[in-house]
Amino acid sequence: MTRSLAAELRQLTAEVIRMGGLAEAQVVDAVDAVVRRDVPLAQALIIRDLRLDTMQSEVERRALALIGRHHPGEADLRRAISTLKLAMNLERCGDLARNIAKRSLVLSAGEPLLPLTGAIERLGRLVSSRLREVLDAYSAGDVEPALDVWRRDGEVDEHYESLFRELLSMMSTYPDSVAAGAHLLFVAKNLERIGDHATNIAEILHFQMTGEELVGERPKISFQAPQVEAASS
Amino acid sequence: MPDTIARAGAGSAAQLILELLPEPVLLVRGGEGETPEIAYANQAARDVFRLELTGAPLGAALRRPGVLEAIEAALATSTSTEVAFETIGVQPRFWRAFARPLETELGQLNELVVVLRDETDARRTERMRADFLANASHELRTPLASLAGFIETLRTHAKDDPEARDKFLGIMAQQANRMARLVDDLLSLSRIELNEHIAPSGKVDLARTIQDVSDAIRPLTAEREVKIAVKADANAGSVTGDRDQLVQVIQNLVDNAVKYTPRGGNVRIDLEFAATLEAARASSRSGVSLSLLSPDAGDGQSYVVLRVSDFGQGIARQHLPRLSERFYRVEGQRSGGTGLGLAIVKHIINRHRGGLTVESAEGEGTTFSVYLPRVVPQA
Repeated sequence: MTRSLAAELRQLTAEVIRMGGLAEAQVVDAVDAVVRRDVPLAQALIIRDLRLDTMQSEVERRALALIGRHHPGEADLRRAISTLKLAMNLERCGDLARNIAKRSLVLSAGEPLLPLTGAIERLGRLVSSRLREVLDAYSAGDVEPALDVWRRDGEVDEHYESLFRELLSMMSTYPDSVAAGAHLLFVAKNLERIGDHATNIAEILHFQMTGEELVGERPKISFQAPQVEAASS
Repeated sequence: MPDTIARAGAGSAAQLILELLPEPVLLVRGGEGETPEIAYANQAARDVFRLELTGAPLGAALRRPGVLEAIEAALATSTSTEVAFETIGVQPRFWRAFARPLETELGQLNELVVVLRDETDARRTERMRADFLANASHELRTPLASLAGFIETLRTHAKDDPEARDKFLGIMAQQANRMARLVDDLLSLSRIELNEHIAPSGKVDLARTIQDVSDAIRPLTAEREVKIAVKADANAGSVTGDRDQLVQVIQNLVDNAVKYTPRGGNVRIDLEFAATLEAARASSRSGVSLSLLSPDAGDGQSYVVLRVSDFGQGIARQHLPRLSERFYRVEGQRSGGTGLGLAIVKHIINRHRGGLTVESAEGEGTTFSVYLPRVVPQA
């Protein structure tokens, strides 16, 4: 028996939210693994990443079947397409988290780099918050908090730039730290990319709910007054 | 009302009790191949999750993988379960979910009652204690080592040298003083963090508070010949808050501003109204702007913005993200502070569900902007 379009859309949305929860947890765990040098946590995370891949395939399968079977109208079609885009972004977040976890294993084997751990934790928490906020917005069907994340995109970059500079400074002052420093550079970059994905998700949600793209450059540097205009709602 | 509650016979009284409970309670319904849905959520649950929960999928409220799976399993097999989890965010909280199945008739969907217990208090106390010890030992080592050094010198080389003795004793007194201030600030910070997850409930008139702080630090400003100019919008309004803590915030920010102002200079304090979160966060001057703390957006909440500006040399861009980090000091600056002033400010503002922004341009000074939720005047 084919289920109604509404019921299937609800189930599809629930699957994406479930993926969101997993991706979110992976990011938080990845940062913890680096900061606390938690080897078992990193190993568990790497294994769990496979689930995200499976879930993305499942979402794709369901979404395509839904579109093929029900030929949904404009708003529902946007909802279905959005689940595909979201699943892709969340799977990428998972990959980035897995990469961070792998590097944490290498870092845990060496000497702790205390001053930098605080900065990594801060960037990690900031990025996790962004991801949580957009996922909350998606769950609630409320575009405002997502727009808020979109506008603050520059903040993540500022923290990333600051961390990057410090890492370079550390590596030039203490040549022995170059190997570990290089891994931390990648960790920082991956976190910044996860932040980008959170902003992507905000844009996807906005399109899903209004049918309009978010116009204008993503606000990168705060003193260039951000242009936030949805091209007529 | 869900028929489950009606069937229990207690009817509207039962629903009233549920609505009044401080713990979030959810009724989850689902079955074979059906996505678990929230059939009912009490007021406490609606407050915690801040969404319309009825009819939403279970994941909309609880998407942490461990919790979601445990509750889905309990629902599918009609068994009890208990699972602890942490919610991420500006105010992380620790929860324990208790799930109990309800008896259902054949052919009906399974039903599960989920009650959430907030265990944040107990967990925070543990963490705070550990953090305090770590911070204290690290920062007290230096002045302690210095004191030990001077004591050793006074017992040996400088034993019979009254001039050296006087000089060294003076320095030792300074170090002891520094340690005392450090311990005070650390204790202060610990106390603030313990209650950070509990929002304040008082009403504070910031204009008056600014005046009080201004008067209190007159000796310091007179000594450095720094003038404080206050410009307060009379209609800015009052904020929800803890007055003593807000005094501390203003004091720390003004102290910093005065420290980095050249002799004979000015410090400016502005008080403004902001209709939205975005307005509160907007740039107020030239230079780089960075948000050090952002609250979760609340529907239609207006804010009162307090800005403390100095016109000293400003702070370089790369230092901005780390300003509120404990013991972080911009190179070359020796202000004699404990390094905790801004961390204290940030935690207090966090407790108040407000935000903190820093704007600075090299050579043109720095502005710290604190924005706090405004009390809506009763019509």
